[in-house]
Parts: sequence; structure tokens; C-alpha cells
Amino acid sequence: MGLESIVFYLFAVIVVASALVVVLSKKIMYAAFSLLFTLFGIAGMYAMLMADFIAVAQIMIYVGGILVLIVFGVMLTTKITGVDVKTGPTGKLNYIAGGLLAVMVAGSLAWLYTSNSWISAPVNETNTSINAVGNLLLTEYLLAFEVGSVLLLIALIGAALIARRK
Amino acid sequence: MINFDMNLLTAHLSQSISVFAPEIALLVTFIVALFMDVVFKKTRNASGYTVCVGLVVTGILLCTQCGVKDNIFVSMLAVDPFALFFKFLILISSLVVCLMSFFSDELNKDDRKMGEYYSLIAGMTFGMFLLTGATNMIMIYLAIEMMSLTSYVLAGFTKEIKRASEASLKYVIYGSISSGIMVYGMSIMFGASGTMNLVELAGLISAGKVAMMPMIVASLMIIAGFGYKISAVPFHFWTPDIYEGAPVTISAFLAVASKTAGFAGFIRFAQMILTNDPFLDWKIVLAVLAVLTMCIGNLSAIWQNNAKRLMAYSAIAHAGYVLMGMVVMDEVGISSIMIYLFMYAFMTLGAFAVIMLIANKIGSEDLDDYNGIGYKMPVLGAFMVIFLFSLAGCPPTAGFVGKLYIFTALFESGSQWAWLAVIGILNSVVSFYYYAKIMRNMYLRGDANDTVERYSFSSASIALVAIITVPVVLFGIYFGPIVEWANNSVALFFN
Amino acid sequence: MYDLVKFVPLLPLLGFLFLGLLGNKIKNEKIIGSIGCGTVGIAFVLLFSMFWNFIQAPPESAVIVPIYNWITIDDFNIQIAYQVDQLSLLFGMIITGVGFLIHVYSIGYMHGDRSFFRFFSYLNLFIFMMLNLVLANNFLVTFLGWEGVGLCSYLLIGFWYDKKFQGTRLTWTGDAANKAFITNRVGDYGFLIGMFLVFITFGTLEYTSVNQAASNAYMSYYGSGIMTAITIMFFLGCTGKSAQLPLAIWLPDAMAGPTSVSALIHAATMVTSGIFLIARNSVLFALAPDTMTVVLVVGIITAFTAASVGLVQNDLKKVLAYSTVSQLGFMFAALGAGAFTAGVFHVMTHAFFKGLLFLAAGAIIHGMHDEQNIKKMGGLKSYMPKTYFTFLIATFAISGIPFFSGFFSKDEILWSVYANNGILPWAILAISALFTAFYMFRLLYLVFFGKERFNCEHGKPHEAPATMTIPLIILAFLSAFGGFLGIPDVLGSWASESPNLIHNYLSPIFADANRVLHSHAGHSSHSSILELGLMLVSVLLAVFGIYKAKQYYSDPAWTSPRKLVRNYNGIYRMLLSKYKLDEFYFAVVVDTLLNFSKNFLWKIFDVKGIDGVVNGTAKGTLAFADVARKIQSGIVQNYALLMTAGIVAILCIYIFI
Repeated sequence: MGLESIVFYLFAVIVVASALVVVLSKKIMYAAFSLLFTLFGIAGMYAMLMADFIAVAQIMIYVGGILVLIVFGVMLTTKITGVDVKTGPTGKLNYIAGGLLAVMVAGSLAWLYTSNSWISAPVNETNTSINAVGNLLLTEYLLAFEVGSVLLLIALIGAALIARRK
Repeated sequence: MINFDMNLLTAHLSQSISVFAPEIALLVTFIVALFMDVVFKKTRNASGYTVCVGLVVTGILLCTQCGVKDNIFVSMLAVDPFALFFKFLILISSLVVCLMSFFSDELNKDDRKMGEYYSLIAGMTFGMFLLTGATNMIMIYLAIEMMSLTSYVLAGFTKEIKRASEASLKYVIYGSISSGIMVYGMSIMFGASGTMNLVELAGLISAGKVAMMPMIVASLMIIAGFGYKISAVPFHFWTPDIYEGAPVTISAFLAVASKTAGFAGFIRFAQMILTNDPFLDWKIVLAVLAVLTMCIGNLSAIWQNNAKRLMAYSAIAHAGYVLMGMVVMDEVGISSIMIYLFMYAFMTLGAFAVIMLIANKIGSEDLDDYNGIGYKMPVLGAFMVIFLFSLAGCPPTAGFVGKLYIFTALFESGSQWAWLAVIGILNSVVSFYYYAKIMRNMYLRGDANDTVERYSFSSASIALVAIITVPVVLFGIYFGPIVEWANNSVALFFN
Repeated sequence: MYDLVKFVPLLPLLGFLFLGLLGNKIKNEKIIGSIGCGTVGIAFVLLFSMFWNFIQAPPESAVIVPIYNWITIDDFNIQIAYQVDQLSLLFGMIITGVGFLIHVYSIGYMHGDRSFFRFFSYLNLFIFMMLNLVLANNFLVTFLGWEGVGLCSYLLIGFWYDKKFQGTRLTWTGDAANKAFITNRVGDYGFLIGMFLVFITFGTLEYTSVNQAASNAYMSYYGSGIMTAITIMFFLGCTGKSAQLPLAIWLPDAMAGPTSVSALIHAATMVTSGIFLIARNSVLFALAPDTMTVVLVVGIITAFTAASVGLVQNDLKKVLAYSTVSQLGFMFAALGAGAFTAGVFHVMTHAFFKGLLFLAAGAIIHGMHDEQNIKKMGGLKSYMPKTYFTFLIATFAISGIPFFSGFFSKDEILWSVYANNGILPWAILAISALFTAFYMFRLLYLVFFGKERFNCEHGKPHEAPATMTIPLIILAFLSAFGGFLGIPDVLGSWASESPNLIHNYLSPIFADANRVLHSHAGHSSHSSILELGLMLVSVLLAVFGIYKAKQYYSDPAWTSPRKLVRNYNGIYRMLLSKYKLDEFYFAVVVDTLLNFSKNFLWKIFDVKGIDGVVNGTAKGTLAFADVARKIQSGIVQNYALLMTAGIVAILCIYIFI
């Protein structure tokens, strides 16, 4: 097991563990802070894949922007800081069904990933991927890029509309 | 992969933009409508009118694209007669929904600002246009997201009503899961093939260069994503709750335009990928989905007491009929789907329009409150009966023609799908029961003999419903041109 | 030129839509009336110009004008197309021509009715449907028209739906409308089955192809079971629509509608669609000699029965209704004898004189303030001179007085029946003709002559307005001289080689059928002396009938008819009650059906059988719905779970099966 693998498993454990806390924690602040670790861990994975631009973007946008917004939101709406997240009564059946399903999905995915050959991208020789990303976004993926911006505009309007009092 | 010759690329992009004109017109409409509300503070419907004009302009621009077959923005988007057919259909639905919205009391209550509403309709139309032509998985995903985001907001537009905001929230959660599954499937597909482009992907698959298991799993996940958009069982659970909670106009929009666009994207995906897939027996998968969708949709609809919920299950059942056409998937099958969706659009819009106008008067969508209502609104009642007959597929209405072509396509494709057609026919018999239930409540229940006072409707709203009725009746008798149009569009799609 | 045929049905359709949708906004009867008449009038002009063109230069074969492809599923193709040929032009002109006159008449007749616009929109719809029926180039379009005219007939019989009506087990005009509609449905099933059989046999529904195929292979088809089945089924349809026995019972009750409706639908046009159908498919019928015999026998029996019932009726319109049934019987007898031209010719002359009789009856009822009982009339000649004059001409025509139109057509029928089927059918028809002359003149004397038996509480009888009398006069002209289109050879041979214009005109249509008939039945030739002799006999019979009517009813005390009634009371009762046919149907068909459905279908089959099954199914479905309801819990987490489970399930099914 080389150093690379050790780092990968480290990040993997961070991601999975903190994600579990996000889902299972009843305190909303805990959930928000665990999300921080999840996002960091994923950024680390991007970095290991030599996708430096995405890694940086992940940290800047998700950690620096979105998560901060979430935490601010939680703190400013004082009412929900200390309140537990309410969930309905979960029957045994649901636990069993959900657990079984999760195991099946996880199992089949694991089998899927180990038993097949996957296309791997050529190892990136250059130091940074920013050039390539920029070029692709404005040529091959120009439409996707622009449509993505429209999508964000719509999301913005939608959010404003829902938040507006009347 | 793209050749980075800048001159060539620039020429290609400017060519692409010229073919992209209708979508650009929609985007401009979207943004202008947003500002109209700010500029004209006094008139509530300024942005509504803007969107109507914008949609008409888009329609005119679409007309210039007859027969164009092109692949634009570096194989992101196909512009072909197949997409054009669906774009026209979506455009008509959007326009009708905008017009319906002018008459909705539920929306226009308490001098609510309607700017965002109309502009989001334009935005959603834009997303649906993209889905009809998307030939790249990124575009499919973006288009579906754009439709979903706008519909989350629109479904919860009357947010002071509890069930609307609840519906909206459920929709967000359910929609996110579905698109999550879909995008996961796409990533598996990408991992197995190394491309997002459907054309290249199809080539790789037919050359046998993609492993079997990833293909199957990814295809199923993507089918699930489309299944959510067209509300096929078992991806339909959101439909009744959302249709019931959302404003009637938006339920209509989701039932018609959103579903039509979903089918357009699904058909294109299936035709390019699934038909080349040597592993997945997708015909059986779709046939099973179709049977489940029809049966569960129709059987659940029987017990509904809320008109919108009933229409939701009816919409699910109709998705099942269309899925039967997808099982065939040859030229006959696809053209039968196009004919079906064309007919379906008008009758569903009409039924929702009448439900909305009734709700304006009695403030309820409960079928028990419909008792004897047919006598209080003779004209609209008669129109409603036509729509319901058409939805049930009785001749000589448009609905019959649609079903006729779907079933014929199944029988034509050989005997192996005859059982499916038989199940479909049995289902349409069942469906008659609950459509008749609405009519029964409207006419046979309640005090018919007493001198009932009639509801007064604005003549514009009656005119709107009458205009929707025209194609339902006309295309039930004179459907040659639609059939020809669909056949021609499909012929070009396959070549 | 023939493309114009597209507009012929379109115009009345537009008229219907316009009047139906906007009619109640237009309060002005003149505008409504002129729109209603105008569309039909223009349609007639178009048809006439096409007809003119046609006879100048007859095309080789029928001109097919496609409108659009209606249903295209692979090789199964149904076109909406119109067929322009001798037959469709003739029928089209009768429908629009007589129809136009009746429309004009209705302006006066329906004046002041609260649903004036509705009446005209229905009339226009009727004309549209009727034109579809006769102009169609395939069975399906004809069938649409066939059903459509049935619908219009229903709507128009029950037009005054809140008016009382006297009839066997009928109390409202709506009941009469129902009776007509239901009786017609029986016939319509015959038509439908016939149509399916045609499609199975020939693989197409187009008239030209079917007739072509049948006449090309007539050796193998002649007398075959399938031909008999097809034609019998079509003939069943005809008995419904054209009120022949056993389905004749609806027509007399159809008189509940406004009189102009009776004139248009139940005398001149709709009831002749059965004759049209047989004429259109003359080849098929010629190939089925058994059916031809059936047609002949049914026609003759109907002609005789209805004429005998007409002898004793006292309701003005009822007499005319039975007369119509009887005359239709004459037409079917002609068709059954293979004299297709004679049948069609009689359709035309009948449209003239029976339309006129009904319109004149309408004018009388109008003038008498809704009195229909002829026993309460009398002496109207001086009050309504124009009506009297036109009625007289029509009565001459229907009685077969020489050189009036009815004489030519009826005589041609009698002669061809004699020539093809011998003396007995001829004799029955001749006696029916005698009855016809008798009851028509009975009507004439009772209504226009003798002492005035009405009381003037509503005011004196008055002559109808000009909108009503002008159509009467035009129809009277046609009834008087229309027959000269079909002068029999025996009378006109001195003037030209083939004086029978209608024969010459229609001969291409029936050429194939006649070829089939002649190839199987030897062409027997009869001397012209015999023909003249029989003609003389039938004229003498008619004159005898007239003489008897005059003798009986000129006498104000009606001594001899009263004596007859006393002496032959049984026969009189039987005739008065229309051979108890209605009662028979009610007892045998309706009540049996009701009892059966009540005692067996409802009480045993339904309650015990179906309900058991249905309740069982309902319980099952309810259980299912309960599961479905639990699934549709409204909790999003569960939905997500189920959705994922769905994917996994499909995957599992796929992988493991």
C-alpha cells in the first residue's frame, strides 16, 4: 500500500464518516459542521485526481460559500439552532427494508466497480488543468456552460420568490 | 473530440446560434418578462402578456426551421423535425397555460406579483426545448434540472396555501433524488465509455467497446430519471401529491408540457442508446413499466375523490399508454407516440382548464362538490364531457385516434406485443369508469330539476375552453395532417 | 369543375355551425331564414351546374373528388371522398332542390317559434348529413351520413319536445322521436354487419372498387351465400331507414315533428336513402337473386298494407305518412323486380308530389290553427284556393292520372313488376294503387269539399303566406310535369327513338347490374299492346277509386262509408288499429325484453351473478387500493425508498431471470 493509497483511504474515511454524521445527527448545527468535513474530503479526492481547478473550486464555492451561508442561516434563525430535527416514527419494517436495500445497492455497486474494466483518462502531464477546463468550457461545452448560468439564474429567482414574504 | 481550429469553430458556433434562434427568443422572453413586472407596477399581467408575445414569436421562429436537420454547439443539441414536432407541442401547451393563468382566481388572489410566475414558465419552456434536442448527457441533465427547478418553484407558487408549499418541498426532495440517480447513472456510463456524447456513445456500444454490467445499471438509472419526468410507475409517487398541491395551471403544465418533453428526451435517448445496446432487454423493461404504469394509474384513479388527484392518476395512466408505443420503437411506434401526445395535450389542458374554472366558482376540487354542476354551467359542462370522453378514448374524439394508433402500432409489430395491447385496451375500459364518475357527479347527482342558478363565466374564459375543444373534436375526425406530420418527422429522425 | 362538389356539403355545414352557435344572438327571423335557405340554395345551384356539365359531356366513369385521407393505417385506407356520377347528382339535386323549397316554406311555417334558429340549424345539419350519404364514395362515409340523418330525424321529430302526442304507448313527441331512433338502430346494425361483410369479402369499402370487383367475378359470386348475406343485411338497414315492414312502425309516429320536417325528411329525402343504397349497390343485389325476391315481396306487402291502413285514418298527416310507406313499398318492389331506374324515377316524382302534399297539409294545419283531424275540416276550398289547387295536382299525380308525374313512374313500376315477376305481384300493386287513389280523394273531399265541420273559435281558416304558397306552386309545377322526363317507350316512340330521358341518363349506373340480371334470366319480351292494356287497366282502377271516393264523401251524411263500417266492422277495426302492429311489437318485443331484463337480467343475472362478481372484484380492488393508499403515504422518504427499490427490483429481475 503506497502513500497514495493511504491518503485516499484517509479522505475516504473522512468523507463517509462525516456524511454519516450529517445524516444521523439530530442537532442541526452538528450536521452543518460535519458537512464541512465531507466537502473538504471530496476536495482532497479531486486534488488526488489531479483535478486541481475543481478541487479549488470545491473549497471556494462549497466550503467558503455555501456552507458558510448554511451556518449563517442556521445561526440567524435562532429558533432552529437548538431544536432537534424531527423525524416521524420509523417502524421496524422501514429499518429492515431500508437496510436491506442499502446493502443491496452498495453490494451491487461494489461488485460493479470491481468486476469491470473502466476507461481511464491519460495521466495529466501538465501541472494545472485550468487551461484545459477554460478552453473546453468556451468551445466544446459552450452551450452547457451558458445553460448552466441560466439554470443558476432560475435558481436565484426561485429562491428569492420562496423567501419573499408575499 | 473537437478540433481546435478557431476559425472553423467560430463558423460552427455562429451557424449554431442562427439555428438556436427560437431558444434565444425564449431566453429573451424570460428576462424581459422578469423586468416587465418591475416596470409596469400597476398592471398585473404585463409580464404575462410579454410571455404570450414571446411564445408567439418563438413559434414564428420555429416555423422557419421546418425541415432543418442540424447538430449544433459541437454535438450538444440536435435540431431536427422530430424535436420540432415536440417543440411546437410544448409551445402550444405553454401558451395555453399562460392564457389559463389569466383566469385563475387562485393565482391572481390578493394582488400577488405574477412576474416571476410567467417568466419561470418561459424558463421552463426553454429547458423543455433543450431536452427535446439534447444529444449529450450533460445537456440532458441540465435540461431536466432546469425543468425541475422551475417546476419546484411554480408548484409552490401559492405558498400561503399549506398543501402547495408542502407539495413544493416534497417535489424538491423527490426530484433531487431522481436527478441524483440519473446523474449517477450517467457517470457510470461515462466511466464505462469515456464519452458523454450520445452519438459517440452509440458508436462505442454497437462496436462492443462498453462493458455489459455498467451499461445495464447505467441504462436503468437513466431510465429511472426519465421515468420520474414522465411519471412512470414506480417513479411516479410525486405525481398525485404535487398535482393536488400545485395551482391547477401548473398541474396542467406538468401533466402536458413537462411530460411531453420528458418523452421527447426519453425517446431520443432510447433510440440512440438502448436500441444499440446488445445487453439490456430494454423492450421487456419498458413493457413491464408500461403495464405497471397503466394498471396502477387507472386502478388508483378509481378511488380518487379530488379532481386534480384523479387527473394526476389519469396522467400516470396515459404515460403508460405512451410507454407501450415506446416498446415498439420503430417508425410506426414513434409516430404513434407523437400522435398520442399531440391529442393528449389538448384534452388534458381542456380538462384542467374546466377544473380551474369550476374551482374559481366553488373553491374546491372535490368531486362531491361537483354534484349537479353540469346544469349550472351548460356550456363548460358540455366541453368537459367532450374532454372526458376524449381522455377515455371514445370515438369520434382525438383521444380515440391517439389510442387507435398506439394499439395499431403494437399489433403491427407482430404478435409478441399483442398481450400488451390487450392489457392496454382493458385499461382504457377501466379508465372509462372514473371519467364517467366525474360526468355522473356533474349531471346525475344533485338537484337537477330545481331551477338552478347558473354560474357566470367571462366570455374570454369560455372562448379559451372552446378553442381548446376545437382540436379535440376536429382531430378526432380530421386527423390526416397530424398523422402525416408525425410520420414525416419520424422518417427524418430515423435517417 | 367537379371539384366544386366539396362545397356542396360544406355550405349547409357552415350554415348549421353558424346558426347553431350564433343563432340565438340573431333575433331577426329573416336573416336566420335566408342563411338557412341560402346555403341549401347555393348547394343546389352548384349541383345543377355540375349536372349540366355532366350531361353535356358525360365522363367515362364516376368522378372521385378526394377531400382528405381519413384513416391511414398501413394499407388500410379510408378516404373522405365524394363521388360524382349520375346517381349522386340526381339524388343531390332532389335533396337540395326540394330541400331548398321546404326551407323557404319553413320560414313561413315556423314563424314565431321560440326556437326558430335551432330549427334551421337542424335542417341544415340534416341536409349536410344527407348529402354525405348520397355523395360518399365509400360505405363508411355513407354510414356516417346514414347515422347523421337518423340523429337529425330524432332531433326534429322531438323538436317540440314538450308537446303532447297521441300514439300507441306514446305520450310526448319525445317518445315518438325515441321510437323512430330505436327502430332505426335495428336497421343500422344490419348496415354495419353488411359493411363488415363487404370489407371481409372485397377488402375495400369503396363503391367503385366493390362494384368493379363484384361484376368482374360475377360468375363466382352469383347467388353465393356471402352475396345474399351482405345484401340481406343492407336491406335490413333499408327497412329501418325507409320504413318497410317489419320496421315500418316508426314513420307514422314521426309525424309528431313539424310538418315541414315530415315533408323534407319523412317523405322526400331521408326515407328514400334505402332506395339509394340499393341503387348504389345494384350489382351486389343483382348477384343475390334471393334477396331480390325478398326485396320485391317486402315492397309489395308494405305497399298493400300501408295503403289499406291509409283508407281509414282520420289524421291528415297520418294518412300521408301511410301513403309514404306505401309509395316506398312501390319503389322497393321496383328494385326487387330489377327495375332500378323505375325505382329511382319514382323517388324523384314522389319527392315532388309527396313533398307538396305534406307542405299543403302543413298549410292546411296552419290555416286551421293546428287542427289535424280531417273529420273536423271540410269546405276549405274557398278559404285556401292556392293550397287547394296545388293539393289537387299532387293528388292527381299520386293517384296516377295520366300525364301527371306519378302516372309515369308508377306505371313503369307496375309494368316492370309484371314483366319480370308475373301477374300476381302486379295485381297486388295495382290494387294498392286503387287504394291510393281512393284515400287521396277521400282526403281531398273531406278537407276541401262538403260542409264546414269546424268551429271558428280560433278564427276563420286562412290562406298561408307567400313564403309558403310559392314553394307549393313550384312543387305543383314539378308534380304536374316532372313525369315527362321518363316517358315510356311505348308512349313516346313516335317522337324519338329513346324518349325515356331518365332511363338514358341512369343507364350507365345500372349497366353492370342489368348485364348480370340479363345473363341469368332470359330477356323476355312483351308486346307493347299488352303494356298499353295494363296501363289502361291501372288508370281505370285509379279512376274507379276516385269515383268511389267522390260517391262516398260528396254525400254530406257519409251514408255508404258508414254502412260499410257497420257491415265490415272487423276489417275496419283492424285497419284503424294498423293491423295491431304496434301492439304486436310492444307485446312481443318490448314487453318480453322488459320482462326478461327485469326478471332475469336484473333480478337473477345482475343481482346474483354480476353483482357477486363485481362485488368480489370491488373487494379485491379495494384491498389493492388500500395497499396503494398505504404506499402513497405522503412521506417523501418512503417514496425515495420505493423508487430505489424499483430500480433494484428491475435490475434483479433482469439479472436473475
